[in-house]
Amino acid sequence: MNVITAYSNQENLDEITQDLKQQIGEFDAKMVLFFASSTFDPDQTAAQMQTAFQNIPVFGCTTAGEIVTGKMLKNSIVAMAFNANIIEDIDIQIVENISNGETEGVDHAFAKFKQHFNQEVLTMDINQYVGIILIDGLSGAEERIMDRVGDLTNLLFVGGSAGDDLKFEKTYVYANGKAYSDAALLALMKPKVKFDILKTQSFCELDKKLIATKVNESERTIIEFNNKPATVAYAEAVGCSVEDAANNFMLNPVGLMVGDEPYVRSPQQIQDQNIVFYCNVLEDTELSLLKAQDMIADTKQALENKQKEMGSISVIINFHCILRTLELEAKNLMEDYGQIFADIPTIGLSTYGESYIGHINQTATMLVFN
Amino acid sequence: MPGKIKDMIDTIIEQRAQGSHIIASTIKIKLILKGINPDKYTSESPDNINVINKLDKLAEELGLKL
Repeated sequence: MNVITAYSNQENLDEITQDLKQQIGEFDAKMVLFFASSTFDPDQTAAQMQTAFQNIPVFGCTTAGEIVTGKMLKNSIVAMAFNANIIEDIDIQIVENISNGETEGVDHAFAKFKQHFNQEVLTMDINQYVGIILIDGLSGAEERIMDRVGDLTNLLFVGGSAGDDLKFEKTYVYANGKAYSDAALLALMKPKVKFDILKTQSFCELDKKLIATKVNESERTIIEFNNKPATVAYAEAVGCSVEDAANNFMLNPVGLMVGDEPYVRSPQQIQDQNIVFYCNVLEDTELSLLKAQDMIADTKQALENKQKEMGSISVIINFHCILRTLELEAKNLMEDYGQIFADIPTIGLSTYGESYIGHINQTATMLVFN
Repeated sequence: MPGKIKDMIDTIIEQRAQGSHIIASTIKIKLILKGINPDKYTSESPDNINVINKLDKLAEELGLKL
């Protein structure tokens, strides 16, 4: 066994960290990844999790819900310990003050990666290295950070935006025994086993195009689609009234199509006649209206396909959009979704957005290991 | 002379991917997310100066010389 998965929803942090430590026991861990409900004090969470696992990298972030093998949880901490048979090497860097509009911190992190691995990140083999990114989910900086990461490397960085149980007040990433807000955590790993990315969004493309003809990029707001007020054009595409448009957002987001695959942009709310999104859309971008599919069937199928492609999957880290979690809750399907992952050691969280090449919404984006 | 945009896009992908099809497809997605869809440009596409300037900046960000 190369990983041990643990979770705890005891009353207080002391009991939880002891519980997790006990479950992981004498396992010879190389690193521990954890996702913690925002109900726990962030500084104490970071410090106690690091103390529990001593001299190895211990990192994670706050959530809007936790995922562990076979279960979707709330108000808990989930953890996964990896041994050296699965993770040969790892280096973690924190980029702070990410909402200041700059990206020098990302360049600095990559310089540190070069020092640690003794190799330029740009020349690293994409089959031998992979990154995890955990980022403040209220910073609004995800696109800029992912864009710079993508400039500096061909390696894939996958991850998500930290949540705070839908309070929308403050989110944290955890490393080095500390809690960081307004920060991104970049973990560059050299796994010893084959790995891959599984991204699924459970939407199909409809034959309705919306071109973002006027946008406020920094505010993640679309002012006009197809040269009409955004709400009017969206309502026309969906076939509903302007008044009813927001009620369709969850099941009818829009997607930037790459071939047949949508990179989902989820509408959040209407302000005047504008639509505010959960990620930014560049001016002149052509988007397709999407329609929700059966999330359980789609995710099962996507996992089966990836298992066939890889031979087998022994570990899953699932970055799962909070909007998907809310849909599952509304349809009373949380248990069914958790069961999809009942037979594979899994850890994950409900995010405020996923990271895969860029910043995306309404996906389950998973890092999977052979 | 039309087609400069396609040439620039092809050069960016070629220089960065170094023959890897997987990296080439990732770079293509990165370009789309940055607002340039490679599939929309052919050797007949007119040389739109705004797009050319954008590609120059983008190549610089990627550490490439066109």
